[in-house]
Amino acid sequence: MAGGSLEYGRKSRDLLEGQPEVRESVTGAALSFDGRRSAAYAEVDVEAWRRWAEGVKSHLLSELDRHLERAEANLLRNGAVVHWAETDGDARRILAELADRYGSRLVVKGKSMLSEELGLNGVLEDRGVRVFETDLGEYILQLLEEPPSHIVGPAIHRSLRDVQRLFHELHGTPLHATPEALAEAARAVLREVFLEADMGISGGNFLVAETGTLALIENEGNIRLTTSLPPVHVAFVGIEKLLPRWDDLAGFLQLTSRAATGQPLGSYVSLIHGPRRPDEVDGPEAVHVVLVDNGRSAVLADPEAWEVLRCVRCGACANACPVYRQTGGHPYGHVYSGPIGAVLTPGLVGLEQTHPLPFASTLCGACAEVCPVRIPIPRLLLMWRRRAVAGGLTDRTTARALGMYATLAERPGLFRAATRLAGVALPLARRLPLLRGWGVGRALPRPQGRSRWSREGAE
Amino acid sequence: MKDVVLEKVRRALRGRPAIDHPGPMPDDAGARAGKGTDSPTEALADLVEAFRLRFQANGGEVVRVGVSEVPAWLEGFSCAFASCAVGRLVPPRLTPPIPEAEPEVAHLGVSLARCAVAGSGTVILDARDGRRAQLLPRTHLVWVRATEVVGTLGEGLHRLRGGAPSALGLHSGPSKSADIGQVLVTGVHGPGRVLVAIVDDESDPSP
Repeated sequence: MAGGSLEYGRKSRDLLEGQPEVRESVTGAALSFDGRRSAAYAEVDVEAWRRWAEGVKSHLLSELDRHLERAEANLLRNGAVVHWAETDGDARRILAELADRYGSRLVVKGKSMLSEELGLNGVLEDRGVRVFETDLGEYILQLLEEPPSHIVGPAIHRSLRDVQRLFHELHGTPLHATPEALAEAARAVLREVFLEADMGISGGNFLVAETGTLALIENEGNIRLTTSLPPVHVAFVGIEKLLPRWDDLAGFLQLTSRAATGQPLGSYVSLIHGPRRPDEVDGPEAVHVVLVDNGRSAVLADPEAWEVLRCVRCGACANACPVYRQTGGHPYGHVYSGPIGAVLTPGLVGLEQTHPLPFASTLCGACAEVCPVRIPIPRLLLMWRRRAVAGGLTDRTTARALGMYATLAERPGLFRAATRLAGVALPLARRLPLLRGWGVGRALPRPQGRSRWSREGAE
Repeated sequence: MKDVVLEKVRRALRGRPAIDHPGPMPDDAGARAGKGTDSPTEALADLVEAFRLRFQANGGEVVRVGVSEVPAWLEGFSCAFASCAVGRLVPPRLTPPIPEAEPEVAHLGVSLARCAVAGSGTVILDARDGRRAQLLPRTHLVWVRATEVVGTLGEGLHRLRGGAPSALGLHSGPSKSADIGQVLVTGVHGPGRVLVAIVDDESDPSP
């Protein structure tokens, strides 16, 4: 999937031309999320919260090794089992071993971007294990065999009609079924699966080092069920997802909920310490937590890029981004899309495979204004761009053309001469690769020969 | 692999200055509900009212039941349900007078919350109560003592730190999703209807 980022330009164009309804769906959803986030931010002293959250995460990252060791010690004390995965291959191997050990045949999953990043479903499917995504949006995508296009609303690129048609084919619901009827159909199917599943897989929003507590935020209840009904629960957590203290939870749970969906708090929050205790009637008998690196320690080592690791995966940046909302996440070619995807993916995967992404931006700065942990996304976009150019990864023609423009702009005499020629030259220049895309749908200016100031007289 | 990962992290941080933890979250006055008052009774009434408003705004229902009114209220409410699944922490006097059934088939789930948070409209549930009864039936009745209603999530969680259960569930309304064409639906997959019954029990010792 990583190589797919190189095709960002072509994929965006194809999507805009071939599937204009996607732009409509994504824009509608993004504006709706962003509006609610804005209202939720306005209810509280959000600037103070954001600075505090930035401080907590920056502190965490600056002492990450110590907090990771504490988290493990406390999880073990709670009766959980802890695994460490340096790479995605390690994570897949750990899951395969667990599936074999427990003889799992039917697995339910809560929404987890990390599980997509690690390619976990494939591991299970290769072993003939049936896997069901239980988040309604992810369930729809699983039936469509598509990847998610947004962190919080994975199926926002799909309309009601798409789902009506899909469920009519697969579940036999009427073609004009209401959303309520479609949801009821999904509930019925997935309820059976929940009750029979022998393993539940989740990600993790936060892992509290002080107490060994895994926190998961949601609205449907599928994560509470995934982590409560099956006898085994396996959670995959990126090493950057820790919080130092129990008392940090309230602030992060609320800030993340406001940023993601505009709610004071998600409808359900699971705070999980470990497997069921002797005096409990239900809950998993075994809880496994897999701490995953997969490139995060390399990003941490980067003196500029490390700040992206504060990300709480709220999706607020994508909702605010005028570029993202034209296409949704698929053209980005990687699990993390939108503004955070553009600055995180080059760090995780390497700039060689992802260099178009930092250029998928107008640098308007909307993302930085809404980020709950104040990641300086525009500054990081520029940093990656500089590194892409310095590394010879970008198109030479563009660089040379811009260099020529810079030369002209620094020499007023040459600039004046060039504008006199421009009346003749521009229609020809339209045909150059540099201006061809720009010229589609735009009328190029017609230079007047003499500057407007000299004609009208400066005041 | 633990050693490899930790070593990579340590190497990444070599030479970096430590950044201090900023301390407690700034006064979450924005997320606090209720007005200021010196009277404890008024303050409690404020909190209960604030919880009611927030939980209703989230799509849930709230009633306040005096301790002597409980049996009549419970009978009136539960007669609409064929069966109930009752949490382990729910005392007999808060248990509906209808047949009990397993959570997988019961029409009504009944729980006792550890506390309720007015600011976010949240009830905090304990795994020892029984998770399935909190999640599987379509309607969920949650009892909470009026004295256990607090203003902020921070206060609520602070009370519960170092607790014994394997898990806590923070429920802030009915199950909801907008994944189908951005239209809001309830009841997928948790209960579509949640009713919080706040009971005054000044004279009643804990069960």
